[in-house]
Amino acid sequence: MRPRRHRGWRQRTSLLALGALEGREADEARAHVDGCAGCAEELARLRQALELAALDPVRTAEPPLGMPALLARVNARLDAAAAARPRLAWRTAWLLPAGALAAGVATLLLLRPAPTPPAPPAAPTGVAETQVAVPEDMLGRMERTVTRAQTARYLDEAQDLLLTVAAPRPCARQSRRVDVEQEAERSRELLARRALLVGTSGEDVASARPVLRDVEYVLREVASLPSCARERDLQAIQREVSRRNLLMKIDLMTRELKG
Amino acid sequence: MEQSDRDLIGRLARGDREALGPLMERHHRRLYRLALSYLRDPDEALDAVQEVFVKAYQNAARWDGGSEVGPWLTRIAVNHSIDRYRRGRRRRAAETPLDEEAGDRDARLTTGDPSPERRVLGREVGERIASALRSLPERQRSVFVLRHYDELALEDIARVLDMSLGTVKSSLHRAVHRMRERLEGLR
Repeated sequence: MRPRRHRGWRQRTSLLALGALEGREADEARAHVDGCAGCAEELARLRQALELAALDPVRTAEPPLGMPALLARVNARLDAAAAARPRLAWRTAWLLPAGALAAGVATLLLLRPAPTPPAPPAAPTGVAETQVAVPEDMLGRMERTVTRAQTARYLDEAQDLLLTVAAPRPCARQSRRVDVEQEAERSRELLARRALLVGTSGEDVASARPVLRDVEYVLREVASLPSCARERDLQAIQREVSRRNLLMKIDLMTRELKG
Repeated sequence: MEQSDRDLIGRLARGDREALGPLMERHHRRLYRLALSYLRDPDEALDAVQEVFVKAYQNAARWDGGSEVGPWLTRIAVNHSIDRYRRGRRRRAAETPLDEEAGDRDARLTTGDPSPERRVLGREVGERIASALRSLPERQRSVFVLRHYDELALEDIARVLDMSLGTVKSSLHRAVHRMRERLEGLR
């Protein structure tokens, strides 16, 4: 078989391994592989690799948030975008009357009699003055401040919760168990709040992202505990908090976010 | 009666946000896995899915009624994930050491699989695949992800990525060989 033709078959063998060929194309590829020991070996190797690749947990991963929370996040983003849009339109709208005003002034200047003194510069209208006084970067700063403040508050509350978890009460219903009903409930509330934090994927709180991830991980662990939990499960969470230096990281990050 | 994707996009185009719920219910898992296969980070993938639906709502009026909704959403998800991956590459390198963070991320890939052995193997495979995918050129990575994770037909991959069918085939061939080399000796 000529090498050039065989290269084409190699490609088809790869596609066959991926199950990406259909009908006649697939039949032809299979017939070729049946008569080509090297191709059959290659097909087996590729299939083995793809079987391993099929074990990648990503293929069956579930989103860490339920649909209602995700929908709430999308709606929050759309609300934020809708709130920003009129502001932008309003701020650019002044360009039209201001342009007309400038053209009018220019026309007056051109038509004025030569000896008369130049017309005084047209004072900006009150509206235009107000609009120009709200610069884009100021609004951006305000939005950043809100995002940072919300993130700091969330981290503050998560830290309070982790401190409470470190000193659990004995469970009245079962011996050698600890009562974490309130903490688990509070963790679920905080996770729902985390889901609604808007803007944490942006650059404004980029430095907080690793801490946010760690906090979310630990909150999920607490949220999954039964109301009367085993002490060792709680100790495992405490070890995780300690291993990640989470309380100290939260402290430093909230200070940074609060400026 | 259940509304079709086209009907839902039509409602979004008229500003009816109520249509987002059923549309997201239908597509969010698939898009999440797709974004996760690129980004390998549950938070980033979730943010990407959120942005896909924000963009879908904002651009619904410009949607070409002749095309399918699923591939359109896929295209938004792929473009957004690639963009996010590029922007995040430098930042991720500057943050926590990769191996430490990768462990945390993989531990959070909830699959519902009860077998611990399979989970351990899955995690090992996940790490190797993440590393192998990072080593692929962007085009090969995209076609492999769409075939392996979204199981799209070659013609659909060509449509989503705006490539010729020949380019899809040759890219997929190279990608699968590279993946095989990287996964060799795993088990």
